[in-house]
Amino acid sequence: MKRIFSKLLVLVMFLLGVQAVQAQFTASGTITDQSGEPLIGATVLVKGTVRGTTTDIDGSFSVRVDGNTATLVVSYTGYQDQEVQVTAASPNITVSMAESVEQLSEVVVVGYGETRKESLTGAVTTLRSDKLEAVPLASVEQTLQGNVAGLQSNMGNGQPGANVEIRIRGQGSISASSEPLYVIDGIPVISGSLTSQTETSNPLATLNPNDIENVTVLKDASATAIYGSRAANGVILITTKSGKAGKAKVRFTAQVGANDWAVSDKKRLRGLTAEEYTNLYIEGWVNNGETVQQAIDRFNNDFPDPFSGQPAVDITDNGNGTWNLGEIRVDSRWIDELTRTGINQDYNLSVSGGTDAIQYFASGGYFKQESPIIGSDLDRYSTRVNLTASPSDRFKISNNLTLSRTQQNGLNDGTRWAAPMYLGYLLAPTIPIIDPTGQYYADHKSFFMGGNNPVGAQSGDDTQEWTMIRIIDNLSASYELLEGLTFRTAWAFDLLNFQEFYFRNARYGDGRGSNGFGQETTDNQTNWIGTQTLSYNKTFSESHNFDFLLGYEAQKSQSRRVWTYGEQFPPNPNLRTLNNAAQSDPSSSSLTGYAFESIFGRVNYNYQYKYYFSASVRRDGSSRFGLDNRYGTFWSVGASWRLDQEPFLQGSEFFQELKLRSSYGVTGNAGIGNFDHLPQISFSGIDYNGQPGGAFLEIGNSALTWEQNNSFNIGVDFAVLDNNLSGTIEYFNRESENLLLNVPISRTTGFTSATRNFGSMRNSGIEFTLNAAIINAQDVSWSIGGNISFIKNEITKLDEPFLAGDYSRFRREEGRDYNEYYVYGWAGVNPDDGAPLFYTDATETTTSSDIGDIERYYIGKSGNPDFFGGVSTNFTFKGFSLDAQFTYTWNNWLYDGPAWVVQGDGRFSPRSQTSLVLDRWQNPGDETDVPKFFWGNRTNSNLQGSSRYLLDGTHIRLRNLTLAYNLPSSLMSKVNISSARVYVRGINLLTWTRDPDLYADPEAAINGYINSPVPNLKTISFGIDIGF
Amino acid sequence: MKKLQIILLVAIITGLSSCGEDLLNINPSSALPPDAAIQTVSDMETVMVGVYTQLQDADLYGRYFILTPDVMSDDVKQNASANRAKEWAEYGGFREHFIPSGIWTEGYEAILRANTIINSDIEVPATVQDFANQLTGEAYGIRALMHFDMVRIFAQHYGFTSDNSHPGIPIVTEFDQAAEPTRASVQAVYAQVISDFQQAISLMNENRGAGYMSIEAAKALLARVYLYQSNWAQAEAMATEVINSPNTSLTSGDSYVSTWMSNGFSPDAIFDVVNLVSDNVGSDALGRMYINEGYGDYLPSKDLTDIIYARGDTSDIRAQLFKEDPTLAGVYAPIRVNKFPQIDGSDNTPVVRLAEMYLIRAEARAMTGNESGAIEDLMTIRMRAWPDAPAVTASGQDLLDEIEEEKRIELMYEGHRLWELMRKKRDVVRGDCTAPADVCTITYPNDRFILPIPDAEMNANPNIAQNPDY
Repeated sequence: MKRIFSKLLVLVMFLLGVQAVQAQFTASGTITDQSGEPLIGATVLVKGTVRGTTTDIDGSFSVRVDGNTATLVVSYTGYQDQEVQVTAASPNITVSMAESVEQLSEVVVVGYGETRKESLTGAVTTLRSDKLEAVPLASVEQTLQGNVAGLQSNMGNGQPGANVEIRIRGQGSISASSEPLYVIDGIPVISGSLTSQTETSNPLATLNPNDIENVTVLKDASATAIYGSRAANGVILITTKSGKAGKAKVRFTAQVGANDWAVSDKKRLRGLTAEEYTNLYIEGWVNNGETVQQAIDRFNNDFPDPFSGQPAVDITDNGNGTWNLGEIRVDSRWIDELTRTGINQDYNLSVSGGTDAIQYFASGGYFKQESPIIGSDLDRYSTRVNLTASPSDRFKISNNLTLSRTQQNGLNDGTRWAAPMYLGYLLAPTIPIIDPTGQYYADHKSFFMGGNNPVGAQSGDDTQEWTMIRIIDNLSASYELLEGLTFRTAWAFDLLNFQEFYFRNARYGDGRGSNGFGQETTDNQTNWIGTQTLSYNKTFSESHNFDFLLGYEAQKSQSRRVWTYGEQFPPNPNLRTLNNAAQSDPSSSSLTGYAFESIFGRVNYNYQYKYYFSASVRRDGSSRFGLDNRYGTFWSVGASWRLDQEPFLQGSEFFQELKLRSSYGVTGNAGIGNFDHLPQISFSGIDYNGQPGGAFLEIGNSALTWEQNNSFNIGVDFAVLDNNLSGTIEYFNRESENLLLNVPISRTTGFTSATRNFGSMRNSGIEFTLNAAIINAQDVSWSIGGNISFIKNEITKLDEPFLAGDYSRFRREEGRDYNEYYVYGWAGVNPDDGAPLFYTDATETTTSSDIGDIERYYIGKSGNPDFFGGVSTNFTFKGFSLDAQFTYTWNNWLYDGPAWVVQGDGRFSPRSQTSLVLDRWQNPGDETDVPKFFWGNRTNSNLQGSSRYLLDGTHIRLRNLTLAYNLPSSLMSKVNISSARVYVRGINLLTWTRDPDLYADPEAAINGYINSPVPNLKTISFGIDIGF
Repeated sequence: MKKLQIILLVAIITGLSSCGEDLLNINPSSALPPDAAIQTVSDMETVMVGVYTQLQDADLYGRYFILTPDVMSDDVKQNASANRAKEWAEYGGFREHFIPSGIWTEGYEAILRANTIINSDIEVPATVQDFANQLTGEAYGIRALMHFDMVRIFAQHYGFTSDNSHPGIPIVTEFDQAAEPTRASVQAVYAQVISDFQQAISLMNENRGAGYMSIEAAKALLARVYLYQSNWAQAEAMATEVINSPNTSLTSGDSYVSTWMSNGFSPDAIFDVVNLVSDNVGSDALGRMYINEGYGDYLPSKDLTDIIYARGDTSDIRAQLFKEDPTLAGVYAPIRVNKFPQIDGSDNTPVVRLAEMYLIRAEARAMTGNESGAIEDLMTIRMRAWPDAPAVTASGQDLLDEIEEEKRIELMYEGHRLWELMRKKRDVVRGDCTAPADVCTITYPNDRFILPIPDAEMNANPNIAQNPDY
């Protein structure tokens, strides 16, 4: 058809050419982008006429021109228009289009659609793939820290695949979830840790970050209210890559790196040496009233060297209250043995392309990361196919399918004996790691914490493994019924199979009493969602632009969990599955789920692209609430004014963009348990004497309803100096009402708390984002950008203050910051006798060593930072580029959870301590912060919830440093490579902390709690990125 | 046509929302609302199982209700590695500690579960009315037991004040989630306990075995309550009824030790909290606080073991309830408690045993002048374990001391010793003491013989009063 047409055209032109008075010729050519890739559908207009054409699949065009010379105007969305001269003499041209530096036409993904950036009335931040790709981290949320104003995220756990806590504009809830909603390609997906223990396994780690086109963070009600009851804590939209019509692009990336603790080995806590521990041991008993000889006898009994039969350390009693150490036969460095250099690997192959009718993106990836702790790693295999077909102009159908398998090996955390990063400090260095038979030593089990041997456990004697297999498929079809009116139907499935396997060996540790035990959990989560929308765009009277959306959505999520247990295993260490167990009970299964059903609508209006107004509403029904409160309505309104479009600024040399916007709306938080509203007699796991039983376990509350989040936002976006300086300033105020709270009640009721809608909280703050292009020359460019957020949290209504739990560091009280510490005030050590001193009360005027005299008080320090953010810079010179990104938090305080044991001043004999004990008080007059050490310490110096264990988390961290080189394309084209990039990248290379002695990683959980996790990683990796 | 399509679509989109009620009705797979959960007598039985389950809790008969008073007494000394109940063994406890918090919380949860049965108020067919009464009676019995246990551990003993007006614990007989009760006097709590046990006795009509509350168990516990009140006549009467019941018997001396060593019922069991292997108690077990394969935190004191060994090396078979542990050294050597020896934690926990009834009656008889009867009861228990025991000729206080000694040995590590000393207003004197010197003798009366009202309760309930010195 096309060929016939062009033949006809040639014929017509020939005829015309013969007869015409006026000269004519045909201009033709190719339109490409800067890298030489053809642009399909670019418009070519003959200037001064209405004649024009668009480029075909190869980027080529031809157009008839009157006269001998003409100017062609080439335009393409996202690129700067170009004018090119053509003459009859040289009618063939190649135009390389430069990408538009104007960000005004940027397309931004929003809830249930996309929009141009300039038409936004809400607070939205988008991160493009260049920030997300090739980061040697398992999951995409880990890259958000420091890149998005108002978003706080902490890598509190270096375990690859650990769950990542995210707070968008502050802590929005007390008892319900404060995590944002994650939406991948339009599907609200499963997130939050899945494990049955406290360790973490993050379902978002199943997603390959290299498959992601962009991540959009929706922050205010105008942007989020379309997600109704799940929007209160913000929404993170993840959009995966899709193909573009054109030649197939093949891309291969590879990255290999190595990692260590992010805390340098000079600062981090180390375990004691045998010499240090032995001296401490004797001193501890002597301080407890024993003679040196008694203490030596004790030591010899506790710590034999199994190889020689002699004591682990020879100690001689000098007879005058002092002692000397002789030969040291056992000197185990548990922490060192647990630490290694971890290796990261990441390989991806993708192909994308298509025709006008069908576009595709297909990829496969392999990622493996070992943490710096032995036995802790993650690997992921993932594939993706995203297809879009357009059988006609009006009809479009697409399917995004991803399949991945993620496997994690991990470790226990907290203060459990099996937690390696806890036990590694407590195990005496005088206990050998290996016994004379070559097995991991276990004979300390009779007296030392179950004989746990973390080196052996992490080297394969035990298993702790989580596997996730996940399929997400999203099928959608849209049909344009009338001009501007489109019906879209989308059906998505998120299927997640989670398997957890624990094995504890028979010789030592938790499995010692049961000849080994194994425990296996399978959780099958199925989540389906169907969304039907009708959208309509229409311009009236050339000035009134409308955009309507109406939708219905239903979603159901179900989790079926099976748990089995077995013990009494054969001694061969390879036999671990439960069919090897002599005794394999109990087992259990459970089924739970929730459903949402919603209608929603939105209208966007603008007048001459100057004045924008938007409104959205969603009515949600949720199975999580009782019949009385099943449905809730959420809404928002927003407006913006583009001052740069006004006559007084149009054409301004200074302002390229100036926009004022504001919004207000009400969203909800349904992030509570599936059945919290229901009083229940539960039958789960209740039995006696072999009979099944039931018990009144859930107090229920039929009046339970959504937490409500009233959110106000006002902001200004600007771009000045030829767009070289742009930024955003925003103020927000989030009022969370009807907070769902587990209100402590009298335990004489048989319950410890009841869930009630009780209390209010406010998060208000200011966010600044600034980006500057400092140099923008042919071969050199340098830009710098950054953001800073000041967020103030305040509990605005709470009838009665309450302690957050036994031994808690927090007490919630009206008028206070949610994370303000309420602790016993540590006043140091009495130099006269080494006794601990605490302030008796908030006045901090008197001190006491007796905890009967002291009370807790608000100490004026919070887990929340005064401000936080990130700074990034990019420098390019010819083919080289250097990227650096810093993240920082200011004046947030951490609490070291296990410190009361690992820095317990001898409270738990005969457990070793961290190296901090070396500063202990020993003689009258010693000025130190570490009290006198004695076994069985009864001074309460290690009182939990005291400010002694608060640490200053203020820090600036070089999160990312990348040096890259783009190999010259002239060179590469000879080997049929269209682009090649090599780089070296460092993660967390440098950290400055305000407290120069800070031994912990300054990035802990959002509430500041440190719980013997896998240390955060410092990584250096090398990568290549090749395009064909 | 197009318009029709559009109208249809809009109708579908908005209309779908009204047909989704089924979608949103999701119920838990393993729970029911209370009124739906108890509709038949079988439902009652199921929910009664939940009451017994609660007694297995580590804070109650699983571990701490038994262990805590024992580590505060003179029968136990701490191992060097002792940790969990250390503060109580050293009389340095505080109100945020997990043990008082656990016993209080779980004890009242047991009461809640019993009240759920007692107040369930369902109509049952006449053919099963007896069984419904039996279950209700069992629930009354457990409610009485829990109040009695908690008033012992959170309040000074009966007789501490002359009219027993000193604070006891809140009495809870029905569920009210808004309740913020005050502490009833010890007098009132004892009255409630006695009334509940009597109600239990009148309602129950069968003995379902020693794993359950029974008429005999209720009477036996009531005998103990009367003993604590120094109500000798009633104590003797109740003990006698239990001893004479066809449903109780003393385990023979031949099988006494082996019964302890196996994981079935305790010797003489009237009421045991049953722990099966499948309960997987594991490290939470009471026994594992003592044995080497467990935490091994607590050791027998020589104050107790010397009395047994003084009877001749192995003359008293109860010496076999200890075992040597070569890994113990110095002041900690050489023996461990082995009364609850199962490594997997499947030992039952005795709540009340028949031997105690003989010893209660012995004391009651001695206190009321029937010394020959008292000696007879004493010797029944002593000679079972020590067949060569010399005849007892003592009288007066000496006889009472003999009875006390026998009770101490027979009921050792079952959580009795501290209460015995309390009601007799005696000091705790630890001769074999690994605790700091200042807590080797704890003089009576002492604020520290009882646990604090837990901090969590203090914070949530403005009407509750704390114990002195906490």
